[in-house]
Amino acid sequence: MHGVHGRLLHIDLATGLSEARPIPDAVFREVLGGNGLASWLLLEWCPPGADALGPENPLIFATSPFVGTGITTASKVAVAAKSPQTGMIGDSLSSSYLALALKRTGFDALVITGRARDMSLLVVDDDRVEIRPARHLLGLDPVMTAEAVRLETSAGFRVAAIGVAGERLVSYAAIANDGRLAGRTGTGAVMGSKNLKAIAVSGSHLPQVAHPAELARAARELARKSLGPGSAKYREIGTAANLAFFSRIGILPTRNFQSGSFEQANAISGETLFAEHRVDKHACAACTIGCEHHYRTSDDGSETTVRLEYESLFALGSLCGIADPNVVLRAAALCDMLGIDAISTGVTIAWAMECVERGVDVGYPIEELPRFGDGASVLRVIQAIGERVGLGELLALGTRAASAQVGQGSDAWAMHVKGLEMPGYDPRKLRTLALGLAVGTRGACHSRSSAYEIDLSDRLTPRAEAHVRARAAADAEDQAAVLDSLTICKFLRHCFDDLYDETANLYSLVTGIPTTADDLRQAGTRITAVKKTFNIRQGWTRADDTLPPRVFDGDSLTRERLDELIDAYYTVRGWDEHGIPQAGVPVLFSSMVLVGECSG
Amino acid sequence: MTESTITLPVAIRVELFGVPAVLAARREVTVHSVIGDLSSVASALAVVCPTLIGPVLHAETGWLLGGYTFVVDDTFTRDREHPIAPDSSVLLVSSTAGG
Repeated sequence: MHGVHGRLLHIDLATGLSEARPIPDAVFREVLGGNGLASWLLLEWCPPGADALGPENPLIFATSPFVGTGITTASKVAVAAKSPQTGMIGDSLSSSYLALALKRTGFDALVITGRARDMSLLVVDDDRVEIRPARHLLGLDPVMTAEAVRLETSAGFRVAAIGVAGERLVSYAAIANDGRLAGRTGTGAVMGSKNLKAIAVSGSHLPQVAHPAELARAARELARKSLGPGSAKYREIGTAANLAFFSRIGILPTRNFQSGSFEQANAISGETLFAEHRVDKHACAACTIGCEHHYRTSDDGSETTVRLEYESLFALGSLCGIADPNVVLRAAALCDMLGIDAISTGVTIAWAMECVERGVDVGYPIEELPRFGDGASVLRVIQAIGERVGLGELLALGTRAASAQVGQGSDAWAMHVKGLEMPGYDPRKLRTLALGLAVGTRGACHSRSSAYEIDLSDRLTPRAEAHVRARAAADAEDQAAVLDSLTICKFLRHCFDDLYDETANLYSLVTGIPTTADDLRQAGTRITAVKKTFNIRQGWTRADDTLPPRVFDGDSLTRERLDELIDAYYTVRGWDEHGIPQAGVPVLFSSMVLVGECSG
Repeated sequence: MTESTITLPVAIRVELFGVPAVLAARREVTVHSVIGDLSSVASALAVVCPTLIGPVLHAETGWLLGGYTFVVDDTFTRDREHPIAPDSSVLLVSSTAGG
């Protein structure tokens, strides 16, 4: 098989030993690479009941056949581990040069187990593996860490690093590289639990592709399409463009999801940020779209420039009642410096704000507590979360664990699914997404579900029958799984004439394995099943497939209506009424003993 | 004897979001539509906001390029014949939803 090395590198931090292991071609055929490969490896390597912050939880980095081929946007690395937030699959993607450098090492994936005795740096340089002491890196932010590591290795290395939040096991700590984050599900805490401050990778060889000349032509054509109207929003303004529109149609989460519109949305809208704060834009490695818009603030005399996405904007803005763009920009920059996921940070702070609003005693002095609209308190609390001091010790747990600790009914406004905080879409008006968030394997994730695309289009009417909506949600989830496994950016999805046909052709040209659109569709379904199977092994039950109580407003969405949709979704998937895949379902990976486990 | 009628243009308020708002340098615009469907609204937009021609509106047809959609009274639509009333809520936005 072309396009891959066909092997992984396992590193045991406890012993310092490492070994290469083969990855059969069949694995790539069935789960493609990237997110699918990382999920499959997690299923193989993580024992049931593993402590997410224990040495037995593997931390996995995986590339795809497309990385390093010149296919636009495909330079991404998938990260997976059992999530300390959810206790289920934790998977994330991050873009840019790290993926290229990792693939050049001659391995398609790293599987890191064990726990180093002291804070360490893992260096992989082609086949050479070294675990170095890294106490001198403690307390550094991810950017400074990367700079320090490249000084002591060489400028050719690419670095993934955690910030102070990862060192201190904040449950939603992220892993950073090249100014990007593998943000969600707390893989940074897993890395911190292994006493692993950073990973530096470099190498000298990429695998050959099967049909280089034809691939080059197809890649050029895709690059041309990537500059069309299907990606104009991302190129010209970025995802921040969502905010004003979402507020206008009532789906912008505001003040901890108490409202779907923010009366001061204009002040922090993408259009306003573009006019008053935007300084430039950048692109990830091997990307022709260039969606990374940078914004600057200097309101307090010190200059801060930061990349800002809609999800950070809503979570640190409208969700906390913040209408000052300078505060939002500083808050986003602070999250990046500390190495924490901005969505979980904002949602957890908004939960605390509502506790204050309702007079709930969270056990900390009143002067430490954040309030809706109070920007200074947001910045102070973010710092406290990253350092796990004061109120930050509670909020570092995330909304589910924090509300369980505080009690007093505060779980009623803890906005999470399976422990993962909600993204910036109000599910009360987005019925397909409501289902997608409820059944999502990693919890409340818009990116893995992608079902908002159906609601924000003319594809279904509000009265669509449950099985039709369930089919649409499952298809959207599978398409997201395919893109994440091919490591193609979702911002490219509207640039194809036929997404499955064209990506199947690319997969054939890279790997040499004739691949059809249907093959990819089946792979998407299979990858979702792999993730689901992992969750079942870790104790998932149907009760986990739900939404926060707040969204059941008795009007647009009820528990009964959601249950009806979930039933339909399980039927569409071929799962029983408990959500368990049944024997004979053709989506299960042929070489794994999944059917017996799942149906038992 | 036949009764003749004169169709008067109706004023339609169109709210712009994202790229259309930035290109037009305004958040909303009022256009006058005689026919009362989305096609006529798009044509009127091209006159009032010529900077939309090319990036958002097709230079020859005056209709939306593939990356954009109207939202009329909470319904996403690219149907040129979708009827528009004077009190319709009309939004112009990227059809690339979400992040």
